[in-house]
Amino acid sequence: MSTAPAAERRAALDAVLEALAVHGLPSAEIYAKRGRARVIEETPGGVTVSYHREEGWAARAGDDRRSLFAAATGAPSPDGPGGGGWPEADGEALVLADPGGSPGLFDEPGEGWREPPDLDAALIGEREAAGLLATLRGELSAELPRARLLRARLSDGASEWEIASRVAGTPGVAAGARGRAAIVRLEAVLEEGGKSGARPSAATLEIALRQASAVDPRALARRLADRLSVAAQGTAPDHDRAVALLAPAVGTRLLAALSPLFFGDAAGERAEALEDRDGRLASDAVTVVDDARLPGGVLDAPIDGEGSPTAPATLVAAGVRRPPLVPRSAPRRSRDGRGARRWACMRRPGWRDLPAPGPSHLYLAPSADVGVGEMLRDVARGYYLIDLDGSPRVDLAADRVSLPVVGFRIEGGAATGPLAGATVESGLGALLRRIETAARDLTFFPLAGGMVGAPTLRVGAVEIRRR
Amino acid sequence: MPAAAPQPHPFATLDTAAAARALSQLAPGDPDAGGEDGADDWADAFFERVEEVELPADGAAPGARLRREEGLALRLVRGGRTWLAARDEIAPEAFSDALRQVARVLPSAFYPEPRLDVAPWSAVGGTGDPAGLDRMAELPFAVARAIRARHVAFPVRLSVRRHRRHVQVVGPRWVPEPESERFFSLRADLPWGRWGTLVPEPPSDSGADPEAALAAAAEEVAEALVERFRSRHAASPEPRRDAVVVLGPQATAVFLHEAVAHALEADTLGLGGRPEAAVGVPLGGPALSVLDDPGSAPLSVRRRSDDEGVAVARRWLIRDGAVAQPLADRRWARGSEVLLPGAGRRASRHEPPGPRSSHLELLSGDGEADLVAGAEGGFLVSQVARGALDPLTGRFVLEVPCARRLRHGTPAEPVGPFRIVGTVAGLLSRVAAVGSEARSAGAGWCAKDGRLLPVWATTPALRLEGVEVVA
Repeated sequence: MSTAPAAERRAALDAVLEALAVHGLPSAEIYAKRGRARVIEETPGGVTVSYHREEGWAARAGDDRRSLFAAATGAPSPDGPGGGGWPEADGEALVLADPGGSPGLFDEPGEGWREPPDLDAALIGEREAAGLLATLRGELSAELPRARLLRARLSDGASEWEIASRVAGTPGVAAGARGRAAIVRLEAVLEEGGKSGARPSAATLEIALRQASAVDPRALARRLADRLSVAAQGTAPDHDRAVALLAPAVGTRLLAALSPLFFGDAAGERAEALEDRDGRLASDAVTVVDDARLPGGVLDAPIDGEGSPTAPATLVAAGVRRPPLVPRSAPRRSRDGRGARRWACMRRPGWRDLPAPGPSHLYLAPSADVGVGEMLRDVARGYYLIDLDGSPRVDLAADRVSLPVVGFRIEGGAATGPLAGATVESGLGALLRRIETAARDLTFFPLAGGMVGAPTLRVGAVEIRRR
Repeated sequence: MPAAAPQPHPFATLDTAAAARALSQLAPGDPDAGGEDGADDWADAFFERVEEVELPADGAAPGARLRREEGLALRLVRGGRTWLAARDEIAPEAFSDALRQVARVLPSAFYPEPRLDVAPWSAVGGTGDPAGLDRMAELPFAVARAIRARHVAFPVRLSVRRHRRHVQVVGPRWVPEPESERFFSLRADLPWGRWGTLVPEPPSDSGADPEAALAAAAEEVAEALVERFRSRHAASPEPRRDAVVVLGPQATAVFLHEAVAHALEADTLGLGGRPEAAVGVPLGGPALSVLDDPGSAPLSVRRRSDDEGVAVARRWLIRDGAVAQPLADRRWARGSEVLLPGAGRRASRHEPPGPRSSHLELLSGDGEADLVAGAEGGFLVSQVARGALDPLTGRFVLEVPCARRLRHGTPAEPVGPFRIVGTVAGLLSRVAAVGSEARSAGAGWCAKDGRLLPVWATTPALRLEGVEVVA
């Protein structure tokens, strides 16, 4: 993996831009990424500890008639991917992000952005990771003796990337950033039996944090135990209509499914179809923001996948949709008429991938003055839906949503029994417009190619059916 | 169009002996390679080179897309624990650095740095294989022509990719032959859904006519897309629990992949207990015999050894309706008197191997059965969008995007999307008859645990009776 200093790395990117210009492609962008990660995975087949060092780069280049994309492992090469020359440009013209306004290269953070202090923290060690998973296993069995952690995967990684471009022969962006991310994925089962003769059940949980050392194994064990016991003992009504509290695990899945309403080409059209006659997408309790610079966020970065400076964007303000986001490189001819906003919203899942518009930290804004406890106490009769136990079905075109849920029945502000095997069925727009309150417990999950967050939401008159 | 001369394997010049000597310092007596008695450790090195050329739909920017990657992974297995170190380069320093990492020794510890010369990448569209690229570019046009020949027209965006993957596994005391896989993937975006398939790249040295092979592939793709088009407004069937469903070869392949292959992977079985316990368990009627045989896959994706370097075998997964030999890799087969390795596959150097199928075969029936006879009101299912198996409950769902109703022994009106649901054992027990003509069908991407692998199949059609369908 390249450990060259910033000036050398910049020179390497410039050399590739120069080579592409010589190749007859005056507009070009080079993206280079390096990363390292430590992963520990425990399965019934044994324990695997892996160490990864990744290094790759990608170039987009073209002129006003044709374009190409090339990506390869290793450091950027002026001789093309793998040193085997460049593919022939083909197809349509390439449009790159507007130059200017980007942060300085690599070690100069962008204006208004402070580099997080944890970027240089050591990756989690093998023993530390094993200890964390052992604690989690112990806590889970303390919470629920018949529960068993089937598979656990903990990864802790650090990465850095740079982007440089030329647009029609003139210098474009020159920017860089670094990141940290830890992901924990757990699968657990509850064996049948016990005093209550419960059914067997299974639960999956995936979270992302900036560092593995921030993982709280006890909290994760409690969440898994809740999920397992509710799924094992819960029942569902044939059909009911009542107030429901959607926990963050439910709200985030709903919001993730809505992300096509906020990003990219056809976002505006899709969203319009869900609005009511007054042009409202949601109730006034709903404010949706995408903030690539969310302090403490897993994807906190000063630039997006094209090197444009990031900034928070309000997508829904008190229930009213704001113009969707398109990347700064979107062709003007197709965007201006629709009122979309040019924004730094390009995401790159990895160096192999073409950048595409999408969420960074997409979240439904919490209310600082509403706690989940008081929200629960205010429910005379309803449901507290703590998680999904299957894939949500969201049909934006047909304005329908179906969420397979588990949780609790609530009466007089207290849980009276577990709920499982139930589905929330609703029109999508109608559901959004029945959101009455948001609590303060904003929680993020890795979804929709980014991080998606929601607090607990109170929704009026939700239709619940037995599956 | 002249066929290009076969290219030498890019790992032909790799000093595998030196790599093996270096590995022997970690695990000198690999038991699978006839090593020292009582040895319980093993180590291996995995070298990988992957190339993907993509032609986007309608020439969308960027117009030509090329991805090339290579790297290595070293692995040490000791006492039920595995250490793996992966790098995105093939170089002596990367090798010895990864070796130190899996050995968990200080960076100052000395390990030899074997010479790791690999062939340079060839130019794309240049001296590499221009005929292959031309054929790839022709595929979307051939599909468009085949659609027009069916007297229909509808918007469809076709993108095609050419995949080439070369691997070399090295153990301390054995070095299998390097392996290569070459195939195309094709994706069609329609207003009413997405459809995709894999097509083996016609080998340049097989004597087969590559143009004819691609024309046949284009006809199959067109047939599937036109069926989607014709059923786009069709209503879904009413739910019922006693449906007769005739699965065509493509749909059968997806069904068997989900219901048999995934269900009989040692790691899936291991979630519920000992995988060996499955052997002998009845699964399906006596008409059902399913194999996994990477050695009889289409020529350009055929394998002699798996991604752990173990020789592949013609493995009976189900024989005459009973589980015979689950899919296992080295880790699951170690210490087992029942499980055999040879089905270890890796999605990339950055992933550990796991037991997976490569090329499924369903043995044909006796040639007498008419699968649609007496299936009045049943469904002829030519394509399946996806299947899902819950490994803990055995619950199984097959998503059918479109089908034809069977009336008077022939396919009649189109039917809209529905699902076939049940348990693996329940659905397999509903197999009433197996068609007599097996053919290569149902190739696609398997994405278990997010690890993407190409899978292939050769199957006849299949008749299920008394299954539950839901809208």
